[in-house]
Amino acid sequence: MNWSSLLFLLCSGFAGVFAIAVVLSNNIVRMAFYLVLSLAATAGLFFLAGADFVGAMQLMIYVGGTLVLLVFGVMLTAQSQFVSMRTSSGELLTALMLGGALLFVLVFTAMNVPMWQPTNQPSVSEDTPVLTATPIGMALEGYRVDQLEQPNPSLRRGMSGYLFPFVIVSVHLLVVLVGAAYLARARRHHTESA
Amino acid sequence: MAKLLNQCLDWIASWVGGSLPDDSLLGYVLAALIYVALLLGLVATSALIFIWLERKVSGRIQDRLGPTRVGGKFGWLQTLADGMKLLTKEDLVPGDADKMLFRLAPYISFCASLAAFIALPFAGRDFPFVAQHLNIAVFFVLAVMGLEVFGVILAGYASASKWSLFGAMREAAQVVSYEVPMGLCVVVPVMLAGSMDLVFLGDKQQGWFTNWYLFHDPFTFLVFWVYFTCGVASVNRAPFDLAEAESELVAGFHTEYSGLRWSFFFMAEYGSMLAVSILAAILFLGGWNGPIPIAGLLGLTWENGPVLGYLGNFLGMINVIAKGFLLVTVMIWVRWTLPRLRIDQVMTTCLKYCTPLAAVMFVGAALWHTTLPDRVFLGLLQAPEVNRRLTERLPDHSLDVQAIEQGTIAQGDAL
Amino acid sequence: MSSAATNVIELDVRTDEMLVNMGPQHPSTHGVLRLVLRTDGEVVSEVMPHIGYLHRCAEKIGENLTPRQYIPYTDRMDYLAGMNMNVGWALTVEKLMGLEVPEKGRHLRVIISELGRIASHLVGMGAYGLDLGSFSPFLYAFREREKILDLFEEVCGARLTYSYLTVGGATADFPPGWIDKCLAFLDQFVPVIDEYHTLLTTNSIFIRRTAGIGVMPGEMAIDYGCSGPVLRGSGVNWDLRRDGEPIYTSMYEGYDWEVVCQTNGQYPSVYTAPNVPTEAVLGDCWHRFYVRMLEVVQAISLVRQGIEKYRTAEGDFGQPVKLTQKLPVGETYLETECPRGQMGFGIVSDGSAIPWRARARSSSFANLSVVPDLCQGCLIADVPAIVGSLDLVMGEIDR
Repeated sequence: MNWSSLLFLLCSGFAGVFAIAVVLSNNIVRMAFYLVLSLAATAGLFFLAGADFVGAMQLMIYVGGTLVLLVFGVMLTAQSQFVSMRTSSGELLTALMLGGALLFVLVFTAMNVPMWQPTNQPSVSEDTPVLTATPIGMALEGYRVDQLEQPNPSLRRGMSGYLFPFVIVSVHLLVVLVGAAYLARARRHHTESA
Repeated sequence: MAKLLNQCLDWIASWVGGSLPDDSLLGYVLAALIYVALLLGLVATSALIFIWLERKVSGRIQDRLGPTRVGGKFGWLQTLADGMKLLTKEDLVPGDADKMLFRLAPYISFCASLAAFIALPFAGRDFPFVAQHLNIAVFFVLAVMGLEVFGVILAGYASASKWSLFGAMREAAQVVSYEVPMGLCVVVPVMLAGSMDLVFLGDKQQGWFTNWYLFHDPFTFLVFWVYFTCGVASVNRAPFDLAEAESELVAGFHTEYSGLRWSFFFMAEYGSMLAVSILAAILFLGGWNGPIPIAGLLGLTWENGPVLGYLGNFLGMINVIAKGFLLVTVMIWVRWTLPRLRIDQVMTTCLKYCTPLAAVMFVGAALWHTTLPDRVFLGLLQAPEVNRRLTERLPDHSLDVQAIEQGTIAQGDAL
Repeated sequence: MSSAATNVIELDVRTDEMLVNMGPQHPSTHGVLRLVLRTDGEVVSEVMPHIGYLHRCAEKIGENLTPRQYIPYTDRMDYLAGMNMNVGWALTVEKLMGLEVPEKGRHLRVIISELGRIASHLVGMGAYGLDLGSFSPFLYAFREREKILDLFEEVCGARLTYSYLTVGGATADFPPGWIDKCLAFLDQFVPVIDEYHTLLTTNSIFIRRTAGIGVMPGEMAIDYGCSGPVLRGSGVNWDLRRDGEPIYTSMYEGYDWEVVCQTNGQYPSVYTAPNVPTEAVLGDCWHRFYVRMLEVVQAISLVRQGIEKYRTAEGDFGQPVKLTQKLPVGETYLETECPRGQMGFGIVSDGSAIPWRARARSSSFANLSVVPDLCQGCLIADVPAIVGSLDLVMGEIDR
């Protein structure tokens, strides 16, 4: 067996098992914990695919940031009836149908895109690092390193120059975050100096 | 490394008539085990040394002798004796605790702390001493070290103790405060080198101490101290040890822990201290390039052959670890000197002072870098030729970044 | 009245209230104080002190022993300042008996009780550093305290519970050469105080942790019956060594000293110390701490004067009264200025050698009573800062 397929099976197995554990668990902090493991295993898949930038991003944003915030929020705000959650069978059935449909669509698509067929080739075969972040950064600025062989200069540029939309999106997200924080604030409490 | 191992194994296998492909699982597993053993050895031994150092330094600071008995002179075996005591202690789990999470939490912390070392190089050039050479190593190290917090939060929640819960809540509040300025500080050397590859970052500063990014310009000098402050906050050391604030929260998140599990939290703490310090050493203090390039002066470079180059790298590794130990000692010194901040003051320090400071320093360093390119040591010296020639290559696209910068490759529609 | 909160706390997220037990086993409660905190997140909405974990029936024991036999029990009330407690009890009995200690014994008492004040304030200072997470000052403080204890040991053989100053005077005179050792200690101790100021008083983190925290206005301190540095830290110019009863103030007659207290925005300039930071508000934790530090300087000067006067004084140091000395019929009460505040002893005698009633008024008890008010709406981290600034000793509160 190929080492990368073994690791792939391991990581994907973890991701799947813990994803199911999130659904089946009743305790909300344990759910968060399983979610962390599932997301970390997903990050492992990214690393395995040679996309270490996305992998580190996954660790930083999802596993690190979001979950710390989630657990923080859960611990601060959870009333006792939410810490232990029970799902009614009706909810379970609806969720099962919806989730099943989504899973079907995803699996169906994944199996039918020819580029995504297994190649049995390890993505990372060398110890030297593959530059993954630099092309992304350069693409944002308008250099497409993957299109350089294109004879047509306009094709060579590709769909370059993502910097402006990227900045717009990030500023937008920031505004959304500030707005959410503003709305979530329950009341302002000023203690007057006596 | 894995390939090398596979080739060795292939050579051995050829005696009995077998053969082994280059990408065999065996070599990779073996390589991984060797790396893990080496890193675990480093983290565990340095934790042993740090705990001894902590006792000895704090003792000296406080007019005491510190440990003197165990192991003869200087009490150098004191930590081992402590470890033995911890091993024999009863492993208590509180009755109301979430037992699974309670048992797992210390290991999560320790794993995160150890995982950061995967991408930390100890020497560079042609054969970098690094477990996995990532081109986004800085980012990876920051991301993984952030996970250590998760173990702390889980421990605080799972202990079913109110003091532990307070510790966990403080930790969560602290993590959102220090990660922002810390990230901003790390970006400055990354910008100067033009890469997130730590091996590349270290190699960019080769030569004398004048090439260190610490002295690159006044802004980087300040950024280093901001980074160090945030680093101390990120490893929960005084004056930022809020999560375990002894006089307030009994022992914070590890109030209910005993024995080996408790010691794992400490291994994690000391491991992260070393990781943060080594990261600082590589980003700002030239990494394996000493104040005086002894290896270069002795001719232990890769230009003179692989054996000498390897020896030079070995000296470099000692250099990195020495710098890491030095910074850890500074952390110990700070801990035994300063009172603890309050949680709102920690958040104020990190978000109100460190973040704008780091942002301004970032802009300042960027302007300095564009107006005075290829100059080092506060702009007084010309950067050495070898450092300027060093640029990142894109091997999979056979593309030279410098070529793009020089405009020999067509630029797209940049907005 | 409500405490003057200088920091505005915004409650962004509503959380459940939580009751937390701080103590009786807790690293920062200085013994066995138990505080029940009602918290909302990090904000403390209510503090309820519970006492009695160190109750040893000290007052009742006083009704079964002669006053001289009772001296060791006074040591164990405020165990950090045993000498000062001895003086308090001895003076009370002397007041009842109409006894007067000879000149030499008077100066001996001043020297010893002011040294006791230094030793006690050193613990208060060091332990306050511990409360705020600074470990080293504690050991620096104990290093110097040990030297004072060495001096005490030479005088009476004990290091914590001395039973040295007793009814009628003291159990023994200073041993030969003791005075020189004491002066040598003072000479080397004076520069050490600057180190304490560097580590704590002027440390910016320390100032941030203490300035404006637990502000107690002067009237409030008076209303609660606070005394000692806690009262003077609020700007009330009151010191029993000057304002007490004649039998006590006569002890300090002829001494040149000033009450450490901020009047008209100024601390007495005779005691050198760093300037008051702008963040500090009169009556906050920082001022209480500062008053203690200044009183150490004041005590050094008093000890020096005492030694000078002791050397020139003629006669006896004051022999203790008989162990079974009969007390005159009557009732008396006397308060003295102990390091922690006004410690009062009361005796009702029916004419026998054993008091019919013996009572004590604890300064720490009154000082503790302000905790619920001061901690209203502070953060959890401020609770040790406030409680520590009051410098409580549970042995004295519970007796």
